[in-house]
Amino acid sequence: MAAATVVRRRAGQLVQTTLPNASTATTCSTSRFAPIASQAQAQAPSLIPDCPSSRPSSSRPFSTTPSLGKRRVRFRDNNPNRGVSVLYRSGPREPRSMSRVDLPRPRDVDLKKLAAERVDPDHGLWEFFYDKMAANTPAESGEHGRSWTVEELRAKSWDDLHKLWWVCCKERNRIATAANMREEYEMGFGDNEGDERDAVVLKTMKSIKHTLTERWYAWEDAVKLAKEDPEIDLTAGEGQAYTPRDYLSEEEIVEAQITAPKKGEGTSIPPPPPTSRSRDVRGGAKI
Amino acid sequence: MRPTAALLGRPYRKLRLTTKDINKGFYKGNRTGSMGTHTKWGGYKIDYDKVRTYVVPENLNEFTLTPFVSQKIRPKWGDYSEATDKMGPRSPALYLKRWKEENGYD
Repeated sequence: MAAATVVRRRAGQLVQTTLPNASTATTCSTSRFAPIASQAQAQAPSLIPDCPSSRPSSSRPFSTTPSLGKRRVRFRDNNPNRGVSVLYRSGPREPRSMSRVDLPRPRDVDLKKLAAERVDPDHGLWEFFYDKMAANTPAESGEHGRSWTVEELRAKSWDDLHKLWWVCCKERNRIATAANMREEYEMGFGDNEGDERDAVVLKTMKSIKHTLTERWYAWEDAVKLAKEDPEIDLTAGEGQAYTPRDYLSEEEIVEAQITAPKKGEGTSIPPPPPTSRSRDVRGGAKI
Repeated sequence: MRPTAALLGRPYRKLRLTTKDINKGFYKGNRTGSMGTHTKWGGYKIDYDKVRTYVVPENLNEFTLTPFVSQKIRPKWGDYSEATDKMGPRSPALYLKRWKEENGYD
């Protein structure tokens, strides 16, 4: 005797499962898999197969005739698929070869937990993301200050500027990653805020370059100036370059004036009046 | 129908310039720069002075500055009235003066 079939919906698919419980099968006397001998007693075949009958099971006659598994009711329009519908999940009219086999179920795995176990939370590549999110929201990207000005950066050391440059590079990487993610997932928002943020970082980087270039040219000219300065002897070796004027004796001052004849203007040895000299220097510098 | 005179001018070009648009010998490149030199036998010799090296600063993780400054902090103008050469922050005299005051060593 065939077991009653139950049509259920699982995960949006049409599934026929077999109820292994024999008592359920006996209560379903209106099943279309009932023996032919009982078909006379059976009611009109229903497309909704699972209908536990209220009739006692003793009313069903015993038969050893196997079920043909095929209904022989002829419809008025000879349409064998009459009433079979995907929309209201009637299921197929005849059992299929795989009807008794359950659909495979996916493994019960918490993907987030699995990812947490497999991915190093401190991996360096996480620095490409904001808080390990694909992209931050437009409001979050819009929350930023202004860029550094050149005047503020002039007070910074080389190391600070070097580190700030790298921080800017990392920030730009994050912005670009978020922009890439927005494009990939077709989020459709946040590009404007990301571009604005990027522009501010770029302005900071430009200011860093400005500061360093300016410092370089000033140093270049300052070296030329130092060669004319009686207090400074660049050839004296490390740590000996600068001798303040207060520690020079009169003879040394005169000597320094002789060695630097352009300096000798009166008794005082001030740092050279920078107006005229710096113009010469400026002409020599590559600006 | 003719395009406007502005569009016919030389600097305007609707399509990007490719190597097919110009006589031979035109090298467009991809703005990456070379890493060495070609040898006359068709090989390539890598010049490690040309290979890009990126020096990561130490203790970058402990660095607290960000690319941004708070909007509440107003930018200030520097005072370079000491620079008599009218070169402002780029003044070499100012640089030398500061070197004497703060360093004077190397």
